[in-house]
Amino acid sequence: MKEKTLTEKESIEIISRMIQETKEGMREGSGNMFLLWGYVSTIVSLIIYFGYNATGYSNIFWLWWLIPVIGWPAMIYMLKRKKKRVVTYVDKVIGYIWTVLGVCAMLVPIFSFTQHAGTFPILFIEALLINIGVTMTGLVIKYKLLIASGFIGIIFSFILLFVHGLSCILVFAAMFVILMIIPGHALNVASKKSKKYGLCSES
Amino acid sequence: MLHSQLRLAVMAILMNVEEADFVYLKEKTQSTAGNLSVQLDKLSEAGYIKVEKSFVGKKTHTACRILPAGRKAFESYVQALKDYIG
Repeated sequence: MKEKTLTEKESIEIISRMIQETKEGMREGSGNMFLLWGYVSTIVSLIIYFGYNATGYSNIFWLWWLIPVIGWPAMIYMLKRKKKRVVTYVDKVIGYIWTVLGVCAMLVPIFSFTQHAGTFPILFIEALLINIGVTMTGLVIKYKLLIASGFIGIIFSFILLFVHGLSCILVFAAMFVILMIIPGHALNVASKKSKKYGLCSES
Repeated sequence: MLHSQLRLAVMAILMNVEEADFVYLKEKTQSTAGNLSVQLDKLSEAGYIKVEKSFVGKKTHTACRILPAGRKAFESYVQALKDYIG
């Protein structure tokens, strides 16, 4: 494109063409954040479940904090390592959703220390917050698998209210597989396909 | 200011996104780096866009975003086109 003066018709053509150019394709690596949080949460949950079963050592529950301790720095590293070439309004909305939910998800366990530890439904609240985030992300990017897994996850969250004892940790881990790991891989496959057909903007 | 092919294309893109980097703009407008750089400077001097340079690793990263004055100028330009077409 060269520097030249335009006719009105050319101006309208350029504006229309550029609007088409900026239409969102599936972005490469879209599923990476879901995979990060999905794998970290699932692995930590399983370590706690099997660790407690094997040892009966209750301090093992402090390992829940491994999720934010590993997840947050890894997420910041991933975001900094590869700066996005374009930031759309959709990106910004998704960022706001997860920032608000992330802060709430951090406040819940802190607040739970002031309550009776055995009765506070912390896994239910955490699961519900995450599922709301997944469902809303799916709705914003119009990705059906994410919407479906988000809604399934919401049902799982309520199931957690009725499951007692250590089994609720297994339900929590299974939820992350359905909610984040499967859609995360599916998102990455879809973005690779859309890149192949020229629909993908690299991030 | 906007009645130029490349500057208009850049503004049309930046109206549609929060932020776009130099490589993205170059690719979408199919312009040369030199020409795009000159036009970005002109738009920046006019107060229409903000150009931020940073480092990602060892590489420079130039991010552009539209400013309220630029948004207003673009809307006025589109309105003028609408009036002309009738």
